[in-house]
Amino acid sequence: MSYVWAGYGVTLVTLAAYSVHLVRRGRQLARSRK
Amino acid sequence: MEETRRSTGSALTFSLGLAALVSVVATVALGLALPSTVEQSDFSRLIAIHPGVAWASYVAFGVTALAGALWLWPRTRRTDWDLLAGASAEVGVVFTGLTLATGSIWGRASWGVWWAWDARLTLSALMFTLLLGYCALRRVPGDPDAVARRSAITGLLAVLVVPVNHFAVEWWRTLHQGRSLLQDIPGNDVDGKFIFAMTLGFVAMTLVYAWLVVHRLRIARLEAGIDADDLDAAIEARRREAVPA
Repeated sequence: MSYVWAGYGVTLVTLAAYSVHLVRRGRQLARSRK
Repeated sequence: MEETRRSTGSALTFSLGLAALVSVVATVALGLALPSTVEQSDFSRLIAIHPGVAWASYVAFGVTALAGALWLWPRTRRTDWDLLAGASAEVGVVFTGLTLATGSIWGRASWGVWWAWDARLTLSALMFTLLLGYCALRRVPGDPDAVARRSAITGLLAVLVVPVNHFAVEWWRTLHQGRSLLQDIPGNDVDGKFIFAMTLGFVAMTLVYAWLVVHRLRIARLEAGIDADDLDAAIEARRREAVPA
């Protein structure tokens, strides 16, 4: 079962981290455009 | 108006994000609840997630190539197509990397090795390298039209590896299993619960891909605008310098 958790974990953590990165980068750029 | 936004979010990304979140939660819940199988024990539960991320990487390649083609075609040429191609490629790197990672984990569990130089695995690694190369190529400085042209041509060439990778399990003898859907052997289809979980995974990862691409595209637009502003400011500064005191 640990391989299953690893597979789901790596996918969810990576997608969540990349999503947060994009949202924060977007906010930063949008504010600098004002 | 992109310039007046406080973020890259909008009603579209909110709806898309909500749908993506709900479908991902449903996929994970359903995937983890799948029964163990005789052949693969509980590792078969990875079917809800691994084919979905692989599918999203195919979609990323396709969108990058299509957007590049629309930029190359003079009648449809718009900067947005080039930016979309770049956004899709970057998101594609994430999904192709996840395909390799989840596939490697599944391989270790079922084959006993993290990696094998099998046709499907090697071609997936090639896809990852191609997308990284594409993203690197976009960062090589140059005239914006020249950068867009060489990126579009690269994207169109790179997408050719997708059908080869897809059919690799039929064209060559591979460790990787054959296709799960629409098998030629009667009675050898995967159980309905697994098919449903896998299909839900396709939907979830497609929605996540779309949400990420919309945000990445809006970031690219903002970056392009800032670059243009920087260029205008530099030109204006040089003009002021050129005026004799």
